[in-house]
Amino acid sequence: MTADPKKPFPILPLIRNEFFLYVLSFVGFLFIWDWVAREQILGKSLAQPYDVVQELTRLLSVKLAGKDLLGHIWDSTRRVFIGFAIAAVFAVPLGLLMALNRYINALVKPVFDIFKPMPPIAWISIAILWFGIEEASKIFIILIGAFVPCLLNSYNGVRLIEPELYDVVRMLGGKRRDEIFHVSFPAAFPAIFSGLQISLSIAWTCVLAAELVSSRSGLGWIIIQGMRLTKPELVIGGMAIIALVAWLTSLLVSGLERLVCPWRREIGGL
Amino acid sequence: MAYEEVKIKKPLLLKILSLASITAFFGGWELIVGTGLVPSTMLAAPSSVFQLFLVKLTDPNPDGSVLAAHVWMSIQEAGIGYLLSLLIGLPLGLFMGWFTVVRGVFRPIFEIIRPIPPIAWIPLCIFWFGIELGGKVFIIWIGGVVPCVINAWAGVKMTNPTLIQMARTYGATDWQIFQKLCIPSALPMVFGALQITLAICWTNLVAAELLASDSGLGFLISMGRRLALPEMVVLGMVTVGIVGALIGLVIDVIEKRLLAGIRR
Repeated sequence: MTADPKKPFPILPLIRNEFFLYVLSFVGFLFIWDWVAREQILGKSLAQPYDVVQELTRLLSVKLAGKDLLGHIWDSTRRVFIGFAIAAVFAVPLGLLMALNRYINALVKPVFDIFKPMPPIAWISIAILWFGIEEASKIFIILIGAFVPCLLNSYNGVRLIEPELYDVVRMLGGKRRDEIFHVSFPAAFPAIFSGLQISLSIAWTCVLAAELVSSRSGLGWIIIQGMRLTKPELVIGGMAIIALVAWLTSLLVSGLERLVCPWRREIGGL
Repeated sequence: MAYEEVKIKKPLLLKILSLASITAFFGGWELIVGTGLVPSTMLAAPSSVFQLFLVKLTDPNPDGSVLAAHVWMSIQEAGIGYLLSLLIGLPLGLFMGWFTVVRGVFRPIFEIIRPIPPIAWIPLCIFWFGIELGGKVFIIWIGGVVPCVINAWAGVKMTNPTLIQMARTYGATDWQIFQKLCIPSALPMVFGALQITLAICWTNLVAAELLASDSGLGFLISMGRRLALPEMVVLGMVTVGIVGALIGLVIDVIEKRLLAGIRR
């Protein structure tokens, strides 16, 4: 945290304590939420926190459309991982190739630039026309959404390497191959991983959107089901689970990142 | 960048390759639809998309508005949501980066909201605001505010600590340091947030309109699907892409103008 060597403040040193404030704010948040829901300030469409927890524990045992909560979580997660993995496997090498070879760049970049500004969610309709409402269309959307940041980041990761690093390799008598393996790849890793993180969060957005539009299982389906049945506790429960699972998967990627490239610089506290 | 970029003349072959790949892309697309390799119920040829574009310029059927009205509606929604997220997110992020109290109060709430994909708010928004402008603006706002806060916060965090210590030595107050050091040093990150937020807002807009709306580009796309008119879907997608890219360009120009003296 930023060092705060201020003059000792006589009144309420507790207020200055960040962690005390965290707890205070969290409790306050829950309390206000509960109050707003109980007094029905937003109509009947907000559930009390306790109801949400109860609904979620109920779903652990009761089956919804043939699957319990864990089944739905697994459905969404599986879609995200398949789409994300395909995107990463193709996009990262392609981005690296584009950055390293200008002929490949000249071939691929113009077409990529056409697709780049299109939001992946705009593909949902056409994906449904092509693949129906089964798994394939959802994976396709996730693939499209995750592809762009993966490719862009590995491309820019190589292109923005400081030229001095290449000069050093050349000074030491390295060949083009040494430049690529000893400079380009390691230096691009942090950018690639931040691309993967962005991709992952986009993948979650996409799977959710796809499931909201049409599906029979998954977390997005739970939310839309809550909406159809006007059960706000189901909607909020679904949102909470998505947040939790998305956060856990992003922890997984950052754990992997620490393993693969420990030299990444981080901004403390974020 | 430390280096002045050296302009090397692009070899002719590279230009030809770029041109060839674009031509091959559109030619191939036209061909696979034209020859019936892909049935025309699934994909529209570029030529028919263009035809529909000309028609939609003046004809409000079958989805209720002309193309310009859809575009204007979408821009309005995205614009309001975007400005609101900048207005709230950037100051909040700056304050959270520097003042412990602000961080203590807002961080837990922010961390709760951050991992929820904005799209997940759509059902709640429909409950709360109906399918009017308010709900869509809320979704766009809640998606846009997150990158704003993160970038502004990171920008403040990256302030050179030596400068802060120096200011302290000279007796600057907390507020002065924040104002004179942290904000200027956060500016490049803040401007970075402009582009990121815009892209996120535009994506969320399409999502919001796909699910609940009666006009706008996302609505055009979902109408195209319901009416089984692939050329309408593709037209919607292309328009979304082009308009998004154009707004991005405008922001880029503004950013360059404002940042002229700051970025090396």
